[in-house]
Amino acid sequence: MLRRRFLARLATTSVAAAAAALPYGFSHLMTPPLEAAPRGRLRPPGALADQRAFAAACIGCGLCGEVCPVRCIRFYRRDGGRLANTPYIEPEEKACSLCEKCMPVCPTGALRVTPREDIDMGIAQIDRSACYPWVDRGICGACVSVCPLGASAIDFALWNQYRPVIHSGCVGCGQCVEVCPHPSRPIRVVARARTPAGATGS
Amino acid sequence: MTMNTRIPAPRWRHLNLLRWVTLTTVFATLLLLPALHLYQTYVAAHAYDLLSPGEQRFYTFMETLTSPFTSDPARDLDALKGTTWSANIFGLKLSDPLAALSQVAAGQTLYLPFLLSALIPLVLTLILGRFFCGWICPATLLYELNSNFGLWLRRFGIHSGNRRFDRRLKYAVLAAGLLLSAAAGAVLTAGIYPPAILGREAYYAIAQGGLGAGSVFFAATLLFDLLVARRGFCRYLCPGGALYALLGRFRLVRVRRVVENCNDCAKCNAVCEFGLDPLHDRFGQDCTNCTACIAVCPTDAMTFTLRLADVPPQGPGHLGHRYRKARPGGAASRSQEAA
Repeated sequence: MLRRRFLARLATTSVAAAAAALPYGFSHLMTPPLEAAPRGRLRPPGALADQRAFAAACIGCGLCGEVCPVRCIRFYRRDGGRLANTPYIEPEEKACSLCEKCMPVCPTGALRVTPREDIDMGIAQIDRSACYPWVDRGICGACVSVCPLGASAIDFALWNQYRPVIHSGCVGCGQCVEVCPHPSRPIRVVARARTPAGATGS
Repeated sequence: MTMNTRIPAPRWRHLNLLRWVTLTTVFATLLLLPALHLYQTYVAAHAYDLLSPGEQRFYTFMETLTSPFTSDPARDLDALKGTTWSANIFGLKLSDPLAALSQVAAGQTLYLPFLLSALIPLVLTLILGRFFCGWICPATLLYELNSNFGLWLRRFGIHSGNRRFDRRLKYAVLAAGLLLSAAAGAVLTAGIYPPAILGREAYYAIAQGGLGAGSVFFAATLLFDLLVARRGFCRYLCPGGALYALLGRFRLVRVRRVVENCNDCAKCNAVCEFGLDPLHDRFGQDCTNCTACIAVCPTDAMTFTLRLADVPPQGPGHLGHRYRKARPGGAASRSQEAA
């Protein structure tokens, strides 16, 4: 008798647990996980460096996108799995203008208020085998002239006025990527290489 | 004789109208804010001459709408942003307590500024119970219209679903949401919580160029309400409703039945979206203080009261048949109540 009651209880509990998990399963089906992280998508400025911490902190309220004056902040609307509804920036489409409005508006601390020079969305990287000036296919300099941070981030090589060179001051806003006229975008924003502390010396 | 015993009740019944106004306002604001954002981006880009004729009409309309309030929309309109999930109102950050709880579960860290932004809604919920569900939630407007649509279908002999489930199911949904959020390291309740979905989808549709996946989920909940159980998602599944029901267990503001005025017509039970039993004084944790029963009561037998618990069952209403039949002998009425 006791065992029958226990079994009945177990059955009810498991049915309830299955029913309770059902909405989440449905929602998960609607936002399938990405096969691989799409290349070139950046987190908004001030985002927590650890991707896992960012995914756990962001509640998907969309406030960062709603204050963005250039509408560069997009969201994983129909995919992303556990990244669903979190923000990203696709600089090839629209780059960040570094207006710094999204950081103070974020309620969750997923975006932290960061001084402009400490923002780390990545760092620009130039493919010197495609960039027009670097392969002597003409003069350009679009990336250098558009950069909001100036010589600390991107500059011309000393020996050739039109070959752009990235410096460590680059915060990865991606405006150079957006403006690059080359169809293959030989400039792109990549994750900053993390040098272990003390490794930079000498 | 019986008419003399009626207790004059404050005219709370008009609150229901106010509630519809509030719900409509919140919903309209949810549509307005993304439109304002779009307008702001046009202004910030000095883009008027680059817009299509339709966008120019939109621009002009928004300009007319906002010009009485601001001369610098690109900056000033930032004062009003967000949804009911998380909002930024003139510098005051307000967040849904469910968002705060889910984020704690997902990250297992406490980020104090965010938790503080959920404090005002939390305190209000402790005092008023599930008032968010009845008065503010943008999904409530659509769910109630959906309910009314289901009732309207009856005219054509189509009966919408009215199955009943165990109300405690929603606590399991809340618990599952927190556990799954912790396991996945992401705030998963946001994906199934209708007000969060609606706020997001309105923003996605107006300012991001298309609906997201949540709209499918929300449409499914509407169908569930229509085909399976009236207001079923809010009653049995909503994780936010579960949280507020728990928080509002000892709420101070309650609806109370004035037994002297009640004639047992049971209109309150029929109108209650949450399938509660006001006629027998059983409100419980799920009452949203929505005042629909107050508004529908023909004898003003429903009123507000300040108590930490529901009034114990008071028996048949003094204007009803059962009470009047039993009245000559006081003992008879009491035995009938006990039965």
